[in-house]
Amino acid sequence: MKLATVTTFVTIASAVMTMAAIASPEKGLEIAIEADSRDKGFRNSTAQIKMILMDKYGQSTERAIRNRTFEGDNEGDKSLVIFDSPGDVRGTAFLSHTKKADSDDQWLYLPALKRVKRIASSNKAGPFMGSEFSYEDIASQEVEKYTYNYLRDEELNGLDCFVVEYDPVDRKSGYKRQIVWMDKAEYRVHKIDFYDRKDALLKTLTYEDYNQYLDKFWRSNRLVMINHQTGKKTELVFTDWKFQTGMTERDFEKSALKRTR
Amino acid sequence: MITYYARCFAVVLLLTQPAFAGKVNGKLSSRLDFYPDHADGAASEGRSAEVKIDAFHDFEKIRIVGEFIFRGDEKDNGRRITEARQAYFRSPFAGFDFFVGNRQEFWGKAESKNVVDVINQSDAAANEGKSGKLGAPSISAERYLDIGDLQLWYISSFREKTFNDSDAHPSTGVPVSSAQYARNDGKDADDFAARLSSFAGDWDLAGSVFYGTARDPILSVNSNGSALNPHYALQKSIGFEAQYTGNVTLLKWESLHGTQSSLIGAHDFAAAVAGIEYTYYGAFETIWDIGLLGEIQHDDRPQAAANQFGVAGVRLVFNDIADSNFLFLASVDRKTDQSFVSLEASRRINDVTSVKLTSQFYNARTATSAFGQLSDDDAITLTLDIFF
Repeated sequence: MKLATVTTFVTIASAVMTMAAIASPEKGLEIAIEADSRDKGFRNSTAQIKMILMDKYGQSTERAIRNRTFEGDNEGDKSLVIFDSPGDVRGTAFLSHTKKADSDDQWLYLPALKRVKRIASSNKAGPFMGSEFSYEDIASQEVEKYTYNYLRDEELNGLDCFVVEYDPVDRKSGYKRQIVWMDKAEYRVHKIDFYDRKDALLKTLTYEDYNQYLDKFWRSNRLVMINHQTGKKTELVFTDWKFQTGMTERDFEKSALKRTR
Repeated sequence: MITYYARCFAVVLLLTQPAFAGKVNGKLSSRLDFYPDHADGAASEGRSAEVKIDAFHDFEKIRIVGEFIFRGDEKDNGRRITEARQAYFRSPFAGFDFFVGNRQEFWGKAESKNVVDVINQSDAAANEGKSGKLGAPSISAERYLDIGDLQLWYISSFREKTFNDSDAHPSTGVPVSSAQYARNDGKDADDFAARLSSFAGDWDLAGSVFYGTARDPILSVNSNGSALNPHYALQKSIGFEAQYTGNVTLLKWESLHGTQSSLIGAHDFAAAVAGIEYTYYGAFETIWDIGLLGEIQHDDRPQAAANQFGVAGVRLVFNDIADSNFLFLASVDRKTDQSFVSLEASRRINDVTSVKLTSQFYNARTATSAFGQLSDDDAITLTLDIFF
């Protein structure tokens, strides 16, 4: 073995060992737990959402949605999404009981039939309302749904960030991994790169216009999801955030779906 | 009496519409029907339009809800209707939510037929499937219990099933005469129903009881063959529903057992639907979902088109911006060699407009079988919905 080859080998080996030393599942989990704990205590929230879908030619169409969330104690959060437009889905409501370890329970309310229909939750990789967001993207992000690996520190938009890999536990996830940029000061997510099952970059989600509520809870008012493989883009614009409203857990039961207006 | 109040309530809601600014929605549906196999003298095509107005308003604890249908048809008097499908107020009292007025309710789990769905009468002349219902004039109460959701129903008067004109479609070609009832009070007889529904893990379960007038009439031809006589039986029944929700497979069960008392005597009956639905999400490495559906129907009541049907279906959901989807269903009764095939495709044109194309085809070996009598009722229907 020539000296130059040996030198190259040693350099690569030490670089790999250095990377392995930096990358840390333990630190990744710690960051995820800290981010989760910083959002504990919001109890419930509501928001209006405008969804703007854009094709690769820049043509756009809009949807209007209302979102209601109830913070879970032992299990995951419960969320209710009500569609206000377009007209043909007006009044349709989607209820999800997120589970930390198990599959989520999900129901759909169909207003023309007045029917509450239990649906399979394995459709998590499918598009939500024809958008670039999948069902798993809009679902409550529970710590137990991923394994973690802290990768590095990196500056993003002038903010000092952790870069952490999230690996979905559920094999039905549409993603092999997600790379998440989270600022060190407030543990807010600013960017996620989603890699498909073949480990090709599929989508990038950016979080913009963060505001703090009740002196604790940060919420982004603009989420932009770009699909690199199709050129399509979806924006979610949040307004009218309200926290700790008079909603109770009963407002998130299956029977409450048909009373949703 | 409740129907009368519901009508008054509808008028009040419409007159006070400005007070519901932002909470009134509507839909205008224009429909064209083509009947390629129509018999001589029967309609070859049909045109109809429907306006549906939805309104609600919340007071401090009381909610009032209205849903009104106004449907006109160029020729078919049976399809014309002015209907308060829902016109009720809801108020909490003693731990229950009370509803007074016309209501629409859905019970059931299956896709091709819902034998336990006993609250509302069918607006069969609308030929709109499960959504075509008449409001039930009722007082009902609901309560969320630890063991599930409890519903109690008192339905104060009976709504007769709607039928198309004899020269319209679908129709046997024989006019339908005035209804007769097994119960002495006829249309004024009271109905009672209750249901408890719950879920545990992957299972959704429900049980129900019903005492009242059967929703489907027994049809018999009069002595000279000039009219069909609808006779409504007294029905006492117990219903059971179950659904198992797996990752990609749904298993469904509905059954109804009981007795019907009618002109032809009192008879025990059983009706059930068992089904499986498998969905292939992201089929062919696309964003399409393909659903495969199989159900077996059993119904030994005299109103049923056959004792047993096997049903197979395919649902294709494109998950695109236009929400395009397609449904194919075929029902086959091998014993009497009759079948029914339906195709449905719909997509959104823009935020306020959507279009639906449906078609229905009846096939029967014998003219006297249920579908044999509907042999000239094959239909292709184009519906344009405008939302406002």
